[in-house]
Amino acid sequence: MINLSYAEVKTPEPGLPWRNLSDVERLKLVNDSLNHEFIVFRESISVVEAKGNGQIIVTLIKPLQAKERGVLLFDLEEFLKNVIDPSLVVWLQPLGDRNSLRNLRGIEVKK
Amino acid sequence: MSAPVQTNAGALILDSHKLAYHMDRIKAWESGERFAPVSVDMALTRGCGAMCSFCYAMMQEAQERSSIKTAHVLNLLDDFATIGVRGVSLISDGESTLSKAYVPFIQHAAKLGIDVGNATNGWEWESEKIEQVLPYLSWVRFTVGAGRPESYAKIMYKGPEHTNVFDRAMKNIRYAVELKARNRLPVTLGIQMVLMPELKDEIIAFAQLGLDLGVDYAVIKHCSDDEQHTLGIDYSKYEQLHALLVQAEAMSTETTKIIVKWDKILDGDKTPYQRVYGPPFLLQISGSGLVAPAGMFFNARYGKMHIGNFTEERFIDIWRSERYWQTMNYLASPAFDAPTMMGTLPIAHYVNTALDRHVKGVERIVQASGPKPLHVNFL
Repeated sequence: MINLSYAEVKTPEPGLPWRNLSDVERLKLVNDSLNHEFIVFRESISVVEAKGNGQIIVTLIKPLQAKERGVLLFDLEEFLKNVIDPSLVVWLQPLGDRNSLRNLRGIEVKK
Repeated sequence: MSAPVQTNAGALILDSHKLAYHMDRIKAWESGERFAPVSVDMALTRGCGAMCSFCYAMMQEAQERSSIKTAHVLNLLDDFATIGVRGVSLISDGESTLSKAYVPFIQHAAKLGIDVGNATNGWEWESEKIEQVLPYLSWVRFTVGAGRPESYAKIMYKGPEHTNVFDRAMKNIRYAVELKARNRLPVTLGIQMVLMPELKDEIIAFAQLGLDLGVDYAVIKHCSDDEQHTLGIDYSKYEQLHALLVQAEAMSTETTKIIVKWDKILDGDKTPYQRVYGPPFLLQISGSGLVAPAGMFFNARYGKMHIGNFTEERFIDIWRSERYWQTMNYLASPAFDAPTMMGTLPIAHYVNTALDRHVKGVERIVQASGPKPLHVNFL
């Protein structure tokens, strides 16, 4: 069922402990947390960046079908929210358009 | 949201939503039941021969590009019919007329009683193909980047000298208008301009083109952008265009209505809701086969919201899966913040806004009375 009780609830923002860390320290914290936990994360995901605004940017080490990557990434996000900060959100690195004709426009998807 | 526009064929709602005609789904949603989308917005391919400067498909590249075969889409339609999808729009992130599955898809949907609409540039939509599909379509909306041939070619193709693409599109649109009149087909034909602020000189020419073609409507809409502002749309500049847009609307005739999507233009990049409730009602599927709650989540970036791919498993199994409902619930949770985590003005904007206002008690959706509007199964 879809929970309709959060319409006016504010999305959590990163707490001071997270924001006070440097980029390197945040990345280390995320990687250390994952290294102590499920092997499935270590085998499938590489953490690229852990931003002060709570965005965790990851890449997939091996290709996964849509039905697999969605579940894995939701699980990862929930894990990080629980062990580090409830504001953390997981994103993959974006892909640019593969259409060669449209690419003549020179528009690049911003990261 | 704007009132319906009265046309010769009935009331046309382009700048609002039709949820009030689908209260069974609203009630199921409020009761915590699982329910089928009223409408699905999808493409049969990611391919396209145009290169429109406003095209959101540039930001919609997913990890895979599965080839969608005819057998896949016939199964998909059977699954839609089984669960109760009422309308399918061939829009999304590719030019569906290029797919070999295009004609069989439309004809099979008609057999199943599912309404189909189609947005196209009309370039590969010659008379033979038009005759095969037009009797089965509820509406066709042609993307027309500008009213003048050179501007059209510059916006939609390689440069202003390539006016042959304009000529080809106009020939095909005119044929569809003729065929509709000759056979009294119940299809609505329209043209759409995606207005970028720098295209102000095209507004009146576009409206005039709509009148000249004799289509049922010519609609002018905003341009969407992603949350990283990849296209660089400056929404503050739309206000300067208001007088021209009002002038264009005043050009409406008995045959052709000039319509401006004021609601989206006025909202601009200010998303008025935090949670996104629309996707279970209006689902989007990519021309790569990817099933995701919204087209704005097709890009690899949003992999966590990639639910499945209907070329790899049956859609009905995707819809029944826990991950489908987990994803819909995520969008309704505090973890998701629409103003910062998705692009501006998605296709489901009106639906998202109305459902959000309904949940908050600002404006409850109630059963509509009176005659149904045109295209009631396209939210």
